[in-house]
Amino acid sequence: MLKLNPVTRKRLDRFKQLRRGYWSAIALACLFVLSLGAEMIASQRALLVIYEGEWHFPTYGAIIPGTQFGLDYQYETDYKTLKLTLESSGSGRVIMPPIPYGPLETDLAVGDFPPHAPSFAKQHYLGTDTSGRDVLSRIIYGFRIAMLFSLLLLVFNYLIGVSIGCLMGYWGGAFDLVFQRLIEIWSNIPFLYVIMIVASIIQPGFWTLVMIMVFFGWTSITWYMRTATYKEAAREYVMAARAIGASNTRIVFKHILPNSVSTLITFVPFSVAGGITSLTALDYLGFGLPPPTPSWGELLKQGTENLDSLWMVLSVVGAMTLILMLVTYIGEAIREAFDPRKFSYYE
Amino acid sequence: MTAYFIRRFLLIVPTFIGITLLVFAVTRVVPGGPIERMMTASLVSGDQAGKVQRDTQSGSTLSADQIAQLEAYYGFDKPVLESYALWLGKVITLDLGESSRYQDPVWQIIKERFPVSIFYGLTTLILTYLICIPLGVAKALGHNSLFDNASSALVFLGYALPSYVVGIALVGLFAAHWDIFPLGGFVSDHYDDLNTWGKLKDIFYHGALPLIAYMAGSFALTTFMMKNALMDNQAADYMRTAAAKGLMRKTAVWRHAFRNSLIPIATSFGSNIAFFMGGSFLIETIFNIDGIGLLGYEAILERDYPVVMGILVITSLLFLIGNIISDFLVAMVDPRIRFGEAR
Repeated sequence: MLKLNPVTRKRLDRFKQLRRGYWSAIALACLFVLSLGAEMIASQRALLVIYEGEWHFPTYGAIIPGTQFGLDYQYETDYKTLKLTLESSGSGRVIMPPIPYGPLETDLAVGDFPPHAPSFAKQHYLGTDTSGRDVLSRIIYGFRIAMLFSLLLLVFNYLIGVSIGCLMGYWGGAFDLVFQRLIEIWSNIPFLYVIMIVASIIQPGFWTLVMIMVFFGWTSITWYMRTATYKEAAREYVMAARAIGASNTRIVFKHILPNSVSTLITFVPFSVAGGITSLTALDYLGFGLPPPTPSWGELLKQGTENLDSLWMVLSVVGAMTLILMLVTYIGEAIREAFDPRKFSYYE
Repeated sequence: MTAYFIRRFLLIVPTFIGITLLVFAVTRVVPGGPIERMMTASLVSGDQAGKVQRDTQSGSTLSADQIAQLEAYYGFDKPVLESYALWLGKVITLDLGESSRYQDPVWQIIKERFPVSIFYGLTTLILTYLICIPLGVAKALGHNSLFDNASSALVFLGYALPSYVVGIALVGLFAAHWDIFPLGGFVSDHYDDLNTWGKLKDIFYHGALPLIAYMAGSFALTTFMMKNALMDNQAADYMRTAAAKGLMRKTAVWRHAFRNSLIPIATSFGSNIAFFMGGSFLIETIFNIDGIGLLGYEAILERDYPVVMGILVITSLLFLIGNIISDFLVAMVDPRIRFGEAR
């Protein structure tokens, strides 16, 4: 059982009292968990097929060839037409996900060129993009990728930042000086521009892009951790621990880290927001994840190139507004929970 | 104090070398550099032309001679450090090389684009401070009033959204959908026929949307900074003293609290300068403004490395100097701050 110390519990209680931030946190967590099961929300595969009394769940796992359901082809079953045929003959049932289109599936209606406008009849609730792929489906999958991307970015950045920053603050001396200079150089690098240069040369995949962004982005936390460790290391309880004979490792891991890391959480929401916005910016400029990965930035690019089809731009802008507002509300609430400021006024 | 700033200026040199060396090395060391790209490009075009003359050993259409020539042209035939030293030597004499796309000197190309970026940078800077400081003061004085809460909601939106998203939303709605503003560009085609007033109007007609997008980012931060600083200072002890000795609220706020609240604003000034001067890749790309940002973006796309490096040189120098200016301003505004002493 996780035991929280009283200060943390107090902060948590204060966070819960800040209704806007608390509910935003719950909403964002729900959206993220839902997006993890995106295959059950938006997919060309059916949730359930009842054919000749047998139940099939095609959502996950290997593709089911059309022959399984008495169709005359070997490739993956087209569940949307299967639904029509089975329901007209009455020999079975097909339940499709709420959005019956996958993120990579192109829907080319005869006699009409994509992008298609939003239409409830065709179940393209937010329309399609220029290749006929469902916008809502791509936004959901794009959200999942963007969230996973920024969370991974966060983990790596904080791992490197916390370890180096802590060592800088604890050891001091030459190690501190060398890294100070190094970080000064690093933090003066024009982040987006350099990442664009690197990405244009090596054309990254998901993991390479994470690594590139960690490589250029680990410094901000380091600086903060250095100062925090410096402050903690000079306090009496550290001196007391040393007097008892605690080893350096014990002091760092048992005393300094728990006390300095907890405030790092105030940066987390803003790091997540930063991760999402920079990934989207890179995708928008064409230096992000390779196509056909569903991504908000790529959709924005299509949208700005086809401003007559306004639904693409507006969908992404709406999605970004929702997510970033939630993240920012959470961030503000956490910050307030950690540092309640009481203003008094001049009457 | 003076010694501190001299030291800061001297530190520009190693930092600058560090940044450029890092990027320089990255463009060289990473596999798939410009030469290999060119080889694939010529391979593709050769295939299309239908007369492929493959070098059986390397599998490329370029002969070993041609590759060597290209490598010499880009300085790829030498080790990284050596060609970096050569490049740096040229940069010191203000020779940024020649663009491989336009065949013009890089400095010339950058100089042509500068006025546009500077126009947007300066206008944004002035407008931001002109609007944010009074707004922040009004919000702090009427904390929790209807005006404060209503404006907070709007400012918060600009705070949460990155400026490029604001820019894209503006283009979509105001330019494409309602057709109120132009889609992009800096001036109209008939700009030269207009009189001075017409020219000015034309520039701001084109500039309205990008300026709003530029401001969206710094606007919220500056407003909140101003508001919070003023509220902190209003709660300070010296304000109570001022009240105790019978100073009018208005006088106390203006003479004491307001002046002290400008300190944090000054800290953001330097970085704002650098940011706006360097232009924003995203906003210039969205609005098709022919400034430094768009130039840098196109240079990366076209693999025009002399221009890419040239822009890196200019933007990082601006950024480094901007940081020092910002510290200098802080020291000017707040005499209590003494850099480089008693650390």
